[in-house]
Amino acid sequence: MLEPHGDCSPHGVSLTLMIFYILRRLLFLPLTLFGISLLLFLMIGLLGPYQRLATFINSPERLKGADVDKLVELYGLNDPLIIQYGRWLKNVLRGNLGWSYVGKEPVLSAILKRFPYTLELTLFAAIPIIFLGTSLGVLAALNHNRPLDHGLRIFAVVGWSFPDFVFGLFVLMIFYGTLGWFPPGNLSVWAEEIVKSPYFRNFTGMLTLDALLNGRLDVFLDALRHLAGPVLTLTYVEFAFLLRITRSSMLEVLRKEYVRTARAKGLDERVVIHKHAKRNALIPVATVSGQTVIGLLAGTVIVETIFNRTGLGSFIALASQQLDYASIMGGTLFFGLILVIGNLCVDLSYALIDPRVRLE
Amino acid sequence: MKRFLVILGCVFFALLSVLPAFAEVKNPDTYIYLSIGEPDTLDPHYAYDTASGEVISFVYENLIAYKGESVTEFVPRLATEVPTVDNGLIRDEGKTYVFPIRKGVKFHNGNELTPEDVEYSFERGILFDPYAGPMWMLIEALFGYETLEDFVADKVGVPWSEMVDEEGNLKSEEYRQKLIDFYNTYIDPVIEVEGDNVVFHLSRPFAPFLSILAQNSSWSAILDKETCISLGLWDGQADGWWKYHNWKKEKSPLYEKAIGTGPFKLLEWDRTQQKVVLVRNDEYWGEQPKLAKVIIWGVDEWSTRRSMLEAGDADQIYTPLQYLDQVKGIPGVVVREGSRLTITALHFNWTVAKDSKYLGSGKLDGEGIPPDFFSDVHVRKAFSYAFDYDTFIAQVLKGYGYRVPSVIPRGLLGFNESLPMYPFDLEKAKEEFQKAWNGELWEKGFKLTLLYNTGNEARQTACEMLKENIESLNPKFRIEVQGVQWPTYLDAYRQGQLPAFIIGWLADYPDPHNFIFTYYHSNGVYGTSQGEAFRKFAEENLNALIEKAIEETDPTRRQAMYEEIQKIAYENALGMPLYQPEEVYVMRSWVKGWMFNPMRPGEANYDGIWKEE
Repeated sequence: MLEPHGDCSPHGVSLTLMIFYILRRLLFLPLTLFGISLLLFLMIGLLGPYQRLATFINSPERLKGADVDKLVELYGLNDPLIIQYGRWLKNVLRGNLGWSYVGKEPVLSAILKRFPYTLELTLFAAIPIIFLGTSLGVLAALNHNRPLDHGLRIFAVVGWSFPDFVFGLFVLMIFYGTLGWFPPGNLSVWAEEIVKSPYFRNFTGMLTLDALLNGRLDVFLDALRHLAGPVLTLTYVEFAFLLRITRSSMLEVLRKEYVRTARAKGLDERVVIHKHAKRNALIPVATVSGQTVIGLLAGTVIVETIFNRTGLGSFIALASQQLDYASIMGGTLFFGLILVIGNLCVDLSYALIDPRVRLE
Repeated sequence: MKRFLVILGCVFFALLSVLPAFAEVKNPDTYIYLSIGEPDTLDPHYAYDTASGEVISFVYENLIAYKGESVTEFVPRLATEVPTVDNGLIRDEGKTYVFPIRKGVKFHNGNELTPEDVEYSFERGILFDPYAGPMWMLIEALFGYETLEDFVADKVGVPWSEMVDEEGNLKSEEYRQKLIDFYNTYIDPVIEVEGDNVVFHLSRPFAPFLSILAQNSSWSAILDKETCISLGLWDGQADGWWKYHNWKKEKSPLYEKAIGTGPFKLLEWDRTQQKVVLVRNDEYWGEQPKLAKVIIWGVDEWSTRRSMLEAGDADQIYTPLQYLDQVKGIPGVVVREGSRLTITALHFNWTVAKDSKYLGSGKLDGEGIPPDFFSDVHVRKAFSYAFDYDTFIAQVLKGYGYRVPSVIPRGLLGFNESLPMYPFDLEKAKEEFQKAWNGELWEKGFKLTLLYNTGNEARQTACEMLKENIESLNPKFRIEVQGVQWPTYLDAYRQGQLPAFIIGWLADYPDPHNFIFTYYHSNGVYGTSQGEAFRKFAEENLNALIEKAIEETDPTRRQAMYEEIQKIAYENALGMPLYQPEEVYVMRSWVKGWMFNPMRPGEANYDGIWKEE
């Protein structure tokens, strides 16, 4: 629909409408974020000042030497909530999201440094999830109620019901502990030395991509080796949902009149399935895959912890445990931003795939 | 199909064969230690946790250091001699200490060490004195005060908060000269450069002074004055020193930078990966470390740490006791032991805050306890008799721990195994309960809540064992054991709402004063948490003795004084010293030269070890 060289008259209207739609969604964004932040702040504010002091005194050992009441005063934990919120908001408007006691650096840089790791993992996990989910889903539908269909569905349901921390530990023990293939962490010691050296330029923060852009195939392969475990875990745990959606959508399409017509015309079965049935069946799947990918962002929390990949998910989890409000607020706003933009993209892509939406 | 399986099998075995053989030493000159968490800050005057201290103690150096595994003998480090009375460097009956400063030592940026650097380092720390930091130790030793703000308020006569605002600006110009005078009169003359020496003048003899200065005490690390000033730390001037007091942690440029004279240089602190990388300092004045690189890496998940040790990708890992059995059988892995100077004890709150949720009805009516429940010595004695100390150590700590008579751990002056301890004796517990509250308690019964912070399994089990034993004495006795998140626990603790609490202490310096003062003095960190009635008791019975003992320089007489304090603690059942844990250090057998010192904040002597099969 955003085709600039397209035929002007029928598309012109939809283009304007589309831009209007996007703008409206984007205008609501700050408002949504403001609402989220206020709600969160009030929730954190319900806790007493000494409880929130746990950000600064995070274990019994830290009690020694700490002048607790003076700390409460220094960080203004005893001030009225509205003043504390105002102070935070004023700083945010100046572009200062505050200091993260969990990340041990300013919140914004903590998030920006961690996000590429999480994004990289998500994208790498998305490829097999979408590929396996859709292709196995089609396969199951074509073998409706036959042993292959049952087998695939059992396989998927087992993965779906596996808690990711259990399956993650299995993967770690088998593929690292026993076989030594997929080590935890981001990179090996030697590869990290290269990445941290002045000759290696960080373009995106995503290790695989940067390694390729720097022409370091060895680092690229090492990064892949470290990605394999978490990707395998996420794939098996998450792909079942897509498989089920694809399967039922495909089954539905296969019963449609136009499929019967195509078959009646005497078309090759492969053409019927791939061109007529599959394309139509995948339209709802596209939306779901978009949401799955966005959902994966959050799903990386546990996997990042098990495979010792520090990313955004584990960062926010840690911040919540320690009531580090600047990190919680900053992280949530960032996730909110990603979610809103991500959903917008999904909606737009839906229009891109489905001609009926485009012409409305 | 068969051919396919054969090919698959071949590929599988080919892959297996390219795997590294585990016997060989991986990364021979790099040491990888997997810990949990990461440093809190690298500013030596703010850092007060072992993870920070571990890094600081290899990058910075102090005037003196502990000799090998000892905590009582010293060797010179940046000083060329350890002061003693015999060599004339401790004078005025223990009030003056002289340190000749080593020449030809270079900081990591090439600057040369001078006596002025030493003077600057201590003064900057004392003036900085952050609210959650360790500087009170030096302030107590040198001046006899607890915080710089108390010291200033006492000498100037105006509270700190009335003179200086949160940003460090003067609230009124009239205080400028007063604060300048304070520095010139009380701080500057106490630490002085005399030729090649640095001289400390203490306000009174302070027995553990040398321990407070020794290596591993980050608060006494030596900084480079020139670098510090150029980074924006205190400029060394009397005018305006208050601007450099009590910064927030992140404001200090030394938070992430570390330029010392030590055997290792800080290469980076990667906070996204919780990883600190140290590299050998090739210009080091002393003996060169054998390792070229040390990586201290926070890996919070136990299974991950274990797998990496098993694969040889890690040389040493942090291992909580409950997982010890999982590493004991791994080939090529050894478990080494050592006792840090740390104590875990249960203490009572003699005057619980009235609004506490953990008192039940708040009255002695069988449905709760009165706030001053534990001010009755019979109740405290009954509790002390009702805990099975030996079984706890054998079962819960798996034998890795000792019983101690008081809060002084073994290995320190004042420790005496033959001092009386409460045995586990339910008959005696019953007798004491019958005497408590004039017999009323036994008739009416009680109900109270014991809290522990979740995740601490040893403390949870201790509370549950106590509950079980006490409830077995009388059906009207009820104890509820409740786990809460650390923030909630902290909150209740600070508000004085906990009827009793289990809490530990790790030595800041190896001296009994550090423990006795903390638990038994009315101004000690835990002394203040035991309620108004306890504070009154301590003021009448303990404070004077504790203060006298710290000024005594003769070890035999000091021993006797601490034994007397411990007897008072025993007779009044001030607390239940539960155990001194023994710690385990799990590493690959290729780690050679590993040595244990109870005062070392970290897990290994990186400057002395090497890897060799």
